[in-house]
Amino acid sequence: MASIPAASGPSRPRCPESSQGPVDSPPGPRASRVQFLHGGTLSARNSVVVRLAGESGEGVISCGDILTQAAARGGYYTQTFRTFPAEIKGGPCMYQFRLSDEPIWSHGKDVDLLVCFNQEAWDLNWDSLGPEGVILYDSIEVTIPDEYIERARPVRMDELAKEIGGSTRAKNMVAAGAIAAVIAFDTTPIEELVLRRYAHKEGVADANIAALHAGAIEAHDLKGRYPLVPPVEVEEDRMLISGNQAIAVGAVAAGVKYFAGYPITPASDILEWLSVRLPQVGGLTIQCEDEIASLASVVGASYTGAKAMTATSGPGISLMNELIGYAGTAEIPVVIVDAQRGGPSTGLPTKTEQSDLNQALYGSHGEAPRVVMAPVSVEDCFYSIVDAFNYAEEFQVPVLLLTDQGLATRLEVIHRPDPEKLNIVCRTTSAGIAREDYKRYEYTDSGVSPMGLPGEPEGMYVATGIEHDEYGHPGYTPEIHLGMQTKRLGKLEPIRETSRVATHGEAQPADIAFIGFGSTFGPVREAVDRLAEQGLSVGAFYPRVLGPFPASRAEEFVANAKRIIVPEVNYTGQLARLIKAETTINELESVAKCDGLPFTAEAIIDLAAQEVAA
Amino acid sequence: MSTRKPNDYKSELKPIWCPGCGDFGVLASLYRSMADMDLDPSRTVIVSGIGCSSRLPHFASTYGIHTLHGRPLPVAMGVKLANPDLTVIAVGGDGDGFAIGAGHFPHASRRNIDVTYLVMDNEIYGLTKGQASPTSLFEQKAPSTPFGNPEDPLNPLALAIAAGASFVARGASFNTKALTELITQAVEHKGFSYIDAMSPCTTFNNTQESWKDAVTDVAPDHDPTDRVKAFDLALRGGFSLGILYRQERTTQTERYRAILEQAKPSDVNVMLDGFNARKGAAIGKPA
Repeated sequence: MASIPAASGPSRPRCPESSQGPVDSPPGPRASRVQFLHGGTLSARNSVVVRLAGESGEGVISCGDILTQAAARGGYYTQTFRTFPAEIKGGPCMYQFRLSDEPIWSHGKDVDLLVCFNQEAWDLNWDSLGPEGVILYDSIEVTIPDEYIERARPVRMDELAKEIGGSTRAKNMVAAGAIAAVIAFDTTPIEELVLRRYAHKEGVADANIAALHAGAIEAHDLKGRYPLVPPVEVEEDRMLISGNQAIAVGAVAAGVKYFAGYPITPASDILEWLSVRLPQVGGLTIQCEDEIASLASVVGASYTGAKAMTATSGPGISLMNELIGYAGTAEIPVVIVDAQRGGPSTGLPTKTEQSDLNQALYGSHGEAPRVVMAPVSVEDCFYSIVDAFNYAEEFQVPVLLLTDQGLATRLEVIHRPDPEKLNIVCRTTSAGIAREDYKRYEYTDSGVSPMGLPGEPEGMYVATGIEHDEYGHPGYTPEIHLGMQTKRLGKLEPIRETSRVATHGEAQPADIAFIGFGSTFGPVREAVDRLAEQGLSVGAFYPRVLGPFPASRAEEFVANAKRIIVPEVNYTGQLARLIKAETTINELESVAKCDGLPFTAEAIIDLAAQEVAA
Repeated sequence: MSTRKPNDYKSELKPIWCPGCGDFGVLASLYRSMADMDLDPSRTVIVSGIGCSSRLPHFASTYGIHTLHGRPLPVAMGVKLANPDLTVIAVGGDGDGFAIGAGHFPHASRRNIDVTYLVMDNEIYGLTKGQASPTSLFEQKAPSTPFGNPEDPLNPLALAIAAGASFVARGASFNTKALTELITQAVEHKGFSYIDAMSPCTTFNNTQESWKDAVTDVAPDHDPTDRVKAFDLALRGGFSLGILYRQERTTQTERYRAILEQAKPSDVNVMLDGFNARKGAAIGKPA
């Protein structure tokens, strides 16, 4: 095994190894372990991990997308992971997809098929190869070290693309054809997609299909070397969708009518998708001059009664913090999606991190109510955004929904949600209340007061962020401030006991309990299954609502566990600190990983093994 | 004939402004203008930021949003876009609009949001006790400019005309009859209407007498549809009261309505079907 320096820099304890190796590591002795090309065909497998790597702009991402799409069309489950530079042209990009005939929960660690478009792709990714992994590489661009040559196969990507189309543009289709051959994947669905994509460009589809076939012929002698178990019993209503798209379409299901946003990686997909879609359901989307204006206009729209939202990433949340406090104080429902990326500051715009939890929970001055949520999968993005609107409407608060670059941009095959079965909540309004009696911020048992909407003569009031009495009139007496803080901060308490929690494995595990949030659920879920196969009593507890935190349910879940592991993708262990602050749990192992990459199931298993051995 | 009287628009809260504050005159003009237009209070939303003048929504018996420092314009835009039937009037001061909120002013102007923006300009920060504002004069002494203001003032009217506001006017709190008429014309104007209301701060920057001497009415033969002449008036020294610029242009509300009318109606089920894995929907491209 090659020695791999810690990915996150000096003296970071217990940071699991990165799934993408450092640039300067020389190929190690791993190479001698497999002699694949002489070894004949491997037996059919339940899952295969393919990684494409090259220069941004070379078609790596579109090649990955089209193969993923074709696989989904062919009935496979799939999950993807992509990483690319923050620049448009140039810089290394990578697209990994995992296919299986069965549902899968992570993008995989050990790469079975590595496709290198250029030399840098090899230099950056050789380390990801699994013990039986094979390599396809561009015959001109890439030189493979001798130790690996036996399991590497040159493909004339550049050369054939030029021959067929006069430029290297169809290089990625040559690669796609070769990949399809190796995993014994029928190229028909790929061809259908190419025809559809280039329907309006004469000759382009033909050139791409010719390139695809040329690639398949190129890898002819590898055909079926890495066969995949074909899917059976494929339901016809499966969807292939990204986290961002699931949020966007889920918001439509929840009844969103107003979206305002400012372009930011990795959240812009939501703005773009809703720009097309919201007008089709009588709503509208606007691109604002900044994130402050975005949330301000969302506040204005919601004030009139419209369900309204914005989506951004960490830097945008920083700008919105003052308005989040305002919406909490003026009791105006708003939904804010934070597709987290690597921070701090501009940070790593195209990489993943879970480091906005603190800012989501505590951002903004003073103490204002908000609900903080984190969906655990692409499918859950759909249901969680519906919950987010329901909480916003029911409790008249801002709701922050935290995804991350990995979850927001990855494609996953999910079961189609049924909008008819959703519970959709709308706010309580002042309609029907006599004018003299109407107090916008009336103290009630629930802490929620009926909201006046413009157009209703009996609900007239002035919304305000200045401390105010029940009528909304400015007032700063001790009684008013304490009364209103009690009302505003108390009204969310019921959520602690009623919020949805994702669990997997045993309900009260005896050996290891994982507590996490958001996108780490997939790899942890897979790890739980594999650890259970080894005879351990393991379970995972993933609150979908982190604020207010379901403290007693977390305590109950871990009551019997010998070890509690809290994996998260940040530096300081924000969730671990939250658990310690909110619960009676004192003994836990915080595993904060901060390298811009998501956890793999294998890394989680390694962690658990270290814990058990310790 | 209006059925509502100015007093009908007064709330039970009394203004907290200092005696002699220009904002009283602006508020009186607003009450009268709303009565003249017979605005339905339940369909009128007054939006403000933070500052002395931004307390105004609390003194009016209409719907209101007292927002954050500098943010009334984007909030007002959201209100109007979400419910175009409402009359939306944004109010605030020069610090709110041209310092912390300055980033929003040109965008409200170029978008031609269908909102009236009434700025009570006193060339000072009153609520924080007299610091220089973006419209304070060069060399003006204030607690934050003890050696005299080293900065030149911003010209909001020229900025509004440059950025694409479709109605630009100046009024004065000490000339309530004319200001009332300006507010009425501004609210009835289709698109973004900006009124710079000179509103002296009698406590920290008492310009009342000097301003009274300095104002002149816009000449009767001024053509407000001539943008170059409007610039000329805005850039000229002294204070021209009246409508400097007026343009007929489609509003943001109308442009979004056109987008809505052109959109092919759909529903969430159709959208979900667009992601059908078996049918191979194009990734990222809405069908």
